[in-house]
Amino acid sequence: MALLEIRNLHASVHEKPILNGVDLTIDAGEVHAIMGPNGSGKSTLSYILSGREGYEITEGEIIYNGSNLLEMVADERAREGIFLAFQYPVEIPGVAGLTFLKTAANAVRVHRGMDELDAMDFLKFVRGKASALDISDSMLKRAVNEGFSGGEKKRMEILQMAVLEPYLAILDETDSGLDIDALKVVSDGVNSFRNSQRSILLITHYQRLLDYIVPDRVHVLANGRIAQSGDKNLALELEKNGYSKFMKAVE
Amino acid sequence: MPDGTGYIQPFVDQAINGSTIIPGKNVEWLQDLRKMGAGVYTERGLPSRRDEYWRYTNLNLLDKNEYKLQNTGRLIDVPSLPHRAVTELASYRIVFVNGYLRPDLCVLDDMPDGVLISGLGDMIAAAPERLEPYLGKNINFVDMPMAALNTAFIHDGLFLFVDSSVELDKPVHLLSIVVPGNTPIMVQPRNLVVLGAESKVTLIESHIGNPGVGYFNNIVSEHTLGDGAQLNHYTFQEESTSAVHIAGSALKLGASSSYDGFLLQSGGLVARVETRALLNGIDADCRLDGIYLGTNNQLLDTTTYVEHVVPNCRSRQVYKGVLDKSSRGVFQGKIHVCEGAQKTDGHQLSRALLLSNRAEIDAKPELEIYADDVKCSHGASVGELDSESLFYLMSRGITFDEARRILIEAFVSEALSEIRLDQVAEDFSAHIRNWLQANINFSELA
Repeated sequence: MALLEIRNLHASVHEKPILNGVDLTIDAGEVHAIMGPNGSGKSTLSYILSGREGYEITEGEIIYNGSNLLEMVADERAREGIFLAFQYPVEIPGVAGLTFLKTAANAVRVHRGMDELDAMDFLKFVRGKASALDISDSMLKRAVNEGFSGGEKKRMEILQMAVLEPYLAILDETDSGLDIDALKVVSDGVNSFRNSQRSILLITHYQRLLDYIVPDRVHVLANGRIAQSGDKNLALELEKNGYSKFMKAVE
Repeated sequence: MPDGTGYIQPFVDQAINGSTIIPGKNVEWLQDLRKMGAGVYTERGLPSRRDEYWRYTNLNLLDKNEYKLQNTGRLIDVPSLPHRAVTELASYRIVFVNGYLRPDLCVLDDMPDGVLISGLGDMIAAAPERLEPYLGKNINFVDMPMAALNTAFIHDGLFLFVDSSVELDKPVHLLSIVVPGNTPIMVQPRNLVVLGAESKVTLIESHIGNPGVGYFNNIVSEHTLGDGAQLNHYTFQEESTSAVHIAGSALKLGASSSYDGFLLQSGGLVARVETRALLNGIDADCRLDGIYLGTNNQLLDTTTYVEHVVPNCRSRQVYKGVLDKSSRGVFQGKIHVCEGAQKTDGHQLSRALLLSNRAEIDAKPELEIYADDVKCSHGASVGELDSESLFYLMSRGITFDEARRILIEAFVSEALSEIRLDQVAEDFSAHIRNWLQANINFSELA
């Protein structure tokens, strides 16, 4: 069954069209990758899915889990199980990382009819997930993303995903800025998160990530629409031939 | 006579000449001091925009209502002490109601040797000579016109004397409660704190008032720290939101003494807390930090003046303000470094967060430096909540209101982290959280 259906989505920023009719269906348990050149609208799509303000939807609709996603605000979507791993996670000095994570986790748990975790139980829960991602206690104790390296921030995003247990995780260029060891750690984290209930949308420039997280479907986003879809072999072809043919095709 | 001070003048005249409210009429130096304060008030009246340090804070509310001096504080029923103003810390508690000591509400048992704590009024009656070397000595009426008015009325307040080398085992908690009557009243407390050399004291002040008719609380405090003395001084200003709260505090710091001050202001309709610190002995250390939280039509003014007179002193100020709705904040901070005060290390930071486009802050940080080998800095900023951070928190399932509260708490935490005592920092933190819960919510945003 489809977890997410994007139908003919058109969106603009400051009256400049960015998305020009995106159609995309993701079933529960599937991993989809969206690839494409810079400026093709990949990040815009991820922000629109997660409910960021500042985008005008001019046409089309998004159905998530049977509901109209565009009617929900960002925090509602998150509680309903949508998660965005940011390309550039925000540093928030003065907000303790653990407290933030606990507040978020409990907001989601309450929404799902589960009991809130107290500080002790939560710490145990997080530590279990953190060690798999090579995240130390001292990293957990710092302010949200403050002073973290690019790779540390990406690992923290994956930790947040693991803690919040979303149904749809959107990973926006989670591989960028990662060395090969970090890429492996992050990919292992994502793979262990995969199951038949959870869908993942990978947004990436590079085929490299898809060696580690093998997608069910690969889509090329160019000039604001899906220009081609295929299986994992499409990514290999793109790696070889680049995006130029899609750019030309649209022009 | 200056404009609009008419109704106060008879009280001033009466205080000097007739009133039985005022104790110690036969103490000559004290009468002279009162007369001096009365004279300055009579001549100058209430401060106005013409006064440099009163440019942003208008006291014309004091003209609108006739606040009357009265002496019912000793008799008024205080049903139960408001819980939120009472810190969790075990403390020696001294309580004033409408400016008068209330022995029935005080908890001052087992006070260690070398500590004298009482109402100033009782000291005036019993041993005024103990006060003479200190009372009024730290204050210049030209700088602090409202202190002149207070001086005319000196009658009661906190009196705390600590002998040399005494370390108080528990904080002293000064709790000032105003219970307004059917008509506006004015309260004129006068506090005097003198710490002997190498003594160590924590003083917590809570200013609270019952809601109802507005009142005018005009407080003056003088704190003198002997050489090597340490005073941790933490103040909650939570007056009724229809009150005028004017507090002037004059500090004099001896050599190697250390003052750690923190002020949380969220009460009052018009509130101004002015602290003047004189760093008078080498190696003195002075911290003045604070947080103000304003909403509706409140005006919250924090004014500091730190004067480095001698070499090698340090001063540090970190103020954070949060202003919602149509509230207004004023921050005036000055570091004055005298010619001989080489190696001064003076730092000042003021940051304000505006939560509504009707909120306003007037910030005036100033450095005035006459020495050539000093390290001084100041910074002032105004901003709003960062939309990227808000979205980040919301994208994790945290509601808009909660996300705003989290970010506001984070914003003020820099000032809170300056407080030396953890328990006190937690008390302030809890107060701030309560304020945010009560005031920051989406339904009222529009």
